[in-house]
This record gives sequence, C-alpha cells and structure tokens, in this order.
Amino acid sequence: METVSERVEIEMAAAASGVPLVRHALRGLLTGLGVPDDVIADITLAVTEACTNAVVHAYPNGGGTINVTASHLGGELEVAVRDHGGGMAPRVDTPGLGVGLPVIAAIARSVVIGSPEDGGTEVRMQFALRTAVG
Amino acid sequence: MTNGIDVERVNGIDVLTLRGEHDLSTATDVSRRIDLALESAPGLAIDLSETTFMDSAVLRVLITAQERANERGAGFAIAVADSSGHGVHRLLTLTGLDAKLSTQPSRADAIAAAAAS
Repeated sequence: METVSERVEIEMAAAASGVPLVRHALRGLLTGLGVPDDVIADITLAVTEACTNAVVHAYPNGGGTINVTASHLGGELEVAVRDHGGGMAPRVDTPGLGVGLPVIAAIARSVVIGSPEDGGTEVRMQFALRTAVG
Repeated sequence: MTNGIDVERVNGIDVLTLRGEHDLSTATDVSRRIDLALESAPGLAIDLSETTFMDSAVLRVLITAQERANERGAGFAIAVADSSGHGVHRLLTLTGLDAKLSTQPSRADAIAAAAAS
C-alpha cells in the first residue's frame, strides 16, 4: 500500500489561456507517476472540461481566479477545480456544447459539485489511476 | 509552437489541419479560420490526424462547421485517424458524435470526400 502522496496546486486567471497550462501541469504530474497514456488522456479531458466551465461561467463580468488542486494518494487522483464566482447556473444560451459535466461524469469514478461556504463552486473529481476508465 | 492551425488548398478545397492540442484557448481561432474557408472554398476538410487533444469547446466549432457547410452545399469531411490522440477518439465516442459527424479515417480520405461533393 502506497503512503507517499503528491499534491499540485495551480492558480490560474479565469481566462482561456490558463486551461492548457493546467492540463500541461497535470499531464506532467501523471507522466511522472507512470500513469498509462490512455488514462492520462481521460483525466486531462475531464479536468479541461471542468476548467473551461469555470472560465466560461464563473465570472460573467471578467476577472477572477480559478484554483486547481490535484492530490495523489495510492491509486487515486483527486482533482478539485474551484472558482470564487457566481456559481454554476443553468444556461440555455451556453456558448459551449453543454456536455462538459456528462463527459466528466463518464470519465471520473465520482464527481461532486459543491458550493463552498465562502462562495463560488467546486467541482471535485476522483480518478482511478491503475487501469483505464470505462 | 507545439500546436497550430494550418490551412492549405488541396484538390480545389481548403484543408484545415489542427496540429497538437486544441481547446477553449484556440477555439475562436479555429472558428475564424473555418469561416474564412467556407466563404471562399467549395469544400472543407478538417484534419484531426495530428490533433493530440481536443475538448468540447472545439467539438462545438466542428459541429457548427458541418452545419454551415451543409447549408452552403459545400463539401465537408473531418479526418479522425489512428494517429489522432486517444482523447480525440474518446470525446467523439462519449458524445456519440462519431456517428453524427462526417468523419473519414484518414486525411486523404477526408480530402477526397470533401472534394467530391
């Protein structure tokens, strides 16, 4: 049973340019941990969708930051994407496809969407690392 | 640059190659290039054979591109090859859009399909 854990914390401005930076950082961690390529592809897709949701929805007037925390313990990776903005309101005029959350749910072992006491939205995803998902 | 958008004219149609990783940060550029192509070319092939990552923001741009091409009566095809990133295939399968989009298994097949219409 592994007891060593790693944690990567990234803060990005709520802008599109931050999305690939989070993905590259996460891919670096996962590559370093020896996670298979197809599992890395799945996790980076899910996390990209979560970050994109935060960029697009959290701060309609611009500005703001998004915090991404990736924690590795044993065979699991937990990634939390947290914004401090207006929360995740349903939009019929979404600029996206509207499939981000279903994609995350299909890939992650579990996903929890919460409204922390100090505001904003947190999307917390758990991923199994040892085998391909799904 | 590790990623980019190339546009070339091949067999009378425009071929847009999405190299590397594409997401919200490149989606607007991709959309703009597609709009330009559809204005001037009788057909458009979008080559994802060198695309290592794609998310739903870019997927939406591709769906819109197919709709617009169909409206204009322009040829249209998307190359999704074995060399496309695992995540590209995964996203198309998860969303069921591998069945709805006009995809071809290679760049050459996509160019031929878009040029033929």
